[in-house]
Amino acid sequence: MIKVLFFAHLRDEAGQESVEVEAAGKSIAELKQELASAYGIQKLDAVMAAVNEEFADDDEVIKEGDTVAFIPPVSGG
Amino acid sequence: MSERYSRQTLFAPIGKEGQEKIRGKHVLIIGAGALGSGSAEMLTRAGVGQITIVDRDYVEESNLQRQQLYTEQDVELKLPKAAAAEKRLREINSDVRIHSVIGDANPQKLAELADGKDLIIDATDNFETRLAMNDISQKFKIPWIYGACVGSFGMSFTIIPGKTPCLNCLLKKLPIQGMTCDTVGIISPAVGMVVSHQVAEALKILVEDWDAVRPAFVSFDLWRNQYSSMKVGKAKDESCLSCGEQPTYPFLEVENQTKSTVLCGRDTVQVRPPKPLDIQLDELAKQLGALGYAVKGNPYLLSVEMKDERVVIFKDGRALVHGTKDMTAAKSLYNRILG
Repeated sequence: MIKVLFFAHLRDEAGQESVEVEAAGKSIAELKQELASAYGIQKLDAVMAAVNEEFADDDEVIKEGDTVAFIPPVSGG
Repeated sequence: MSERYSRQTLFAPIGKEGQEKIRGKHVLIIGAGALGSGSAEMLTRAGVGQITIVDRDYVEESNLQRQQLYTEQDVELKLPKAAAAEKRLREINSDVRIHSVIGDANPQKLAELADGKDLIIDATDNFETRLAMNDISQKFKIPWIYGACVGSFGMSFTIIPGKTPCLNCLLKKLPIQGMTCDTVGIISPAVGMVVSHQVAEALKILVEDWDAVRPAFVSFDLWRNQYSSMKVGKAKDESCLSCGEQPTYPFLEVENQTKSTVLCGRDTVQVRPPKPLDIQLDELAKQLGALGYAVKGNPYLLSVEMKDERVVIFKDGRALVHGTKDMTAAKSLYNRILG
């Protein structure tokens, strides 16, 4: 299992702050796609991902026990 | 030195030596909205030598809830934010040389303004300007500090050319502009938190305490009680067109620039002529008045009430069309007034 954390409006869209899913061996891009369909989250492709508090690009492969956070870049100011 | 900065120089990492460095620096602030107001006030109080602040907008009632430099009178007078900010900042600290620029921070303007600056603070409201700022920062080797907020959520990251990844490395693709101050609002504590992160980083850079600069991308949600600090070292991409080995600075190219923009926070389109004009506002006011439109103005701009929209025209030919998000309709309206 891995832990997924949703930040800001993603948390509202997912309906919860964090979820645990089976995703070891999958890439960030694959995880984004699965979460988008499972939780009805839109616009995940332009969201930044951190694995264990370190920036991860779409190709990074997730390991068992990882914590993946999704952080949406915002533009207001 | 007077007592004015005594509490800041007592803070060991700054000290008297640091204060002298702060005094010798020139900071460029892009935007004088919520983030720009906050950063400009803190840096002015801190005694930065010179501050240049640029903004394309004017003060409106809906700004007062969070844009700390402005007053009801500024709203009444429809003062450009840059002009109102300069006035207030001078009242706060006459030691600091404040330069205000009323206009759009397009790539050409950014290049002109960045020349000779020690640091750029991001206080804009869109990614187009930020990515241009990011390219300018890399081209001129000037650090910049990203900051943004919406709702109760905010984030900040410090970009140092040659050292950290840049915004283009982190974003890869332009985020979809789904969430703005317009759709989800903004609370002032989120603004203050982002400003505090940006100005703390600014002070570290101004006193040249490079080791203290935060290497992580921070984000927080003050309502949902979430905090995150993301290490970004490995995001630095040598093939990045903004900061890699062979940069082309893609966001400075003309084809990457729009001539009209939907503004964050309002039902408004900005229309910008390809080259700045020099509009005779008095003359235009008379013409439009004669056509039966209600016209109000000051030396900087003219506000015209049309049927469904309100058009505000600045001296340089730029216009804000309120009451629409349709860029084409806005351009059409612009052409009806200015030809």
